[in-house]
Amino acid sequence: MSSNHHAEKATGIGDPQCFKGEAGDPKFNVGDRVRIRNLPDIFYTRSQMYLREAEAVVVKLVYESPPAEDEAWDNTDSPEWFYSLLFKQADLWPDYPTKFAGDTLETELSERWLESV
Amino acid sequence: MSNSHDHDHRPPAPMVDEVSDFEVLEVAVRELCIEKGLFTQDDHNEWTEYMHTLGPLPASRLVAKAWLDEDYKQLCIDDPVKASLDVGIDWINTMPTKFGTPSDYCNPRILVDTPTLKHVVVCTLCSCYPRPILGQSPEWYRTPNYRRRLVRWPRQVLSEFGLQLPEDVEIRVADSNQKTRYVVMPIRPEGTEGWSEDQLAEIVTRDCLIGVAMPRADRKADDKRPIHRAVHPFGH
Repeated sequence: MSSNHHAEKATGIGDPQCFKGEAGDPKFNVGDRVRIRNLPDIFYTRSQMYLREAEAVVVKLVYESPPAEDEAWDNTDSPEWFYSLLFKQADLWPDYPTKFAGDTLETELSERWLESV
Repeated sequence: MSNSHDHDHRPPAPMVDEVSDFEVLEVAVRELCIEKGLFTQDDHNEWTEYMHTLGPLPASRLVAKAWLDEDYKQLCIDDPVKASLDVGIDWINTMPTKFGTPSDYCNPRILVDTPTLKHVVVCTLCSCYPRPILGQSPEWYRTPNYRRRLVRWPRQVLSEFGLQLPEDVEIRVADSNQKTRYVVMPIRPEGTEGWSEDQLAEIVTRDCLIGVAMPRADRKADDKRPIHRAVHPFGH
């Protein structure tokens, strides 16, 4: 039985490890402040609406991978850097209790979703 | 039109009340894959049976080892794929695909709690979960209720799990909506001084590894559950 091209690329290496080195130089570094762009998404995205236009700090460069918006259509031609981002809960939810101002949320987004603040 | 013969007849209850659209979709896609020769029914049976053999014990062991060995704890932070090998889990080369299925990408990350930082994991998109090392996710983890409420009201949801944390503890929700799969390493509880790795592993329950509970010296994963009798039983 034949495997698809993704299986051939990732077997024994792992996904996202198999895309290592394909995204070029990362645009952001740990400690950078970024804003999440509110891009239009067509049919598929993994970038949640509740994160859009919020500000965050880059805490880790996690891996290189085709963004979900491409990969959903089997397009693996343009891998991007993925960043782990730390948000203050108070920046995401206007009604978050000020008593718990220290609470945070961490999640990942690909480079196309970020702009410098 | 009703007929008098079976007027009082109640038909047997169906085996399942409802098959969801997603279940129908899964069956349709699976059957198409088999027809197109992407995999066989035997492959599918083998993979499903394999997936159901997985559980949270390797992750409990990983946490117990890290509590006892600072170097191993550092390895869990720096290279969780390598650290998992020590508890018998190979993220890269195991079934079913040998490269991580789309729901089990090979990028685990261990979130280390401290006395002032508590992590809790959710996937707001669906039910991304570190299956190779934790097994199948619990039913509640996949519910829209947990997924949409945990990110917004984490303290409320945690208190529904019986976990109430003081104001000076930062709660950090990890939303695993891309390719990283998170496992929480809770803090070692008091009362476990001098315990062996086996003893420690027994108190690191699945819920502790998701982050909705904290390990306690007096509670093991396989303890008998308490029975709470009804205050006003039916028919009383």
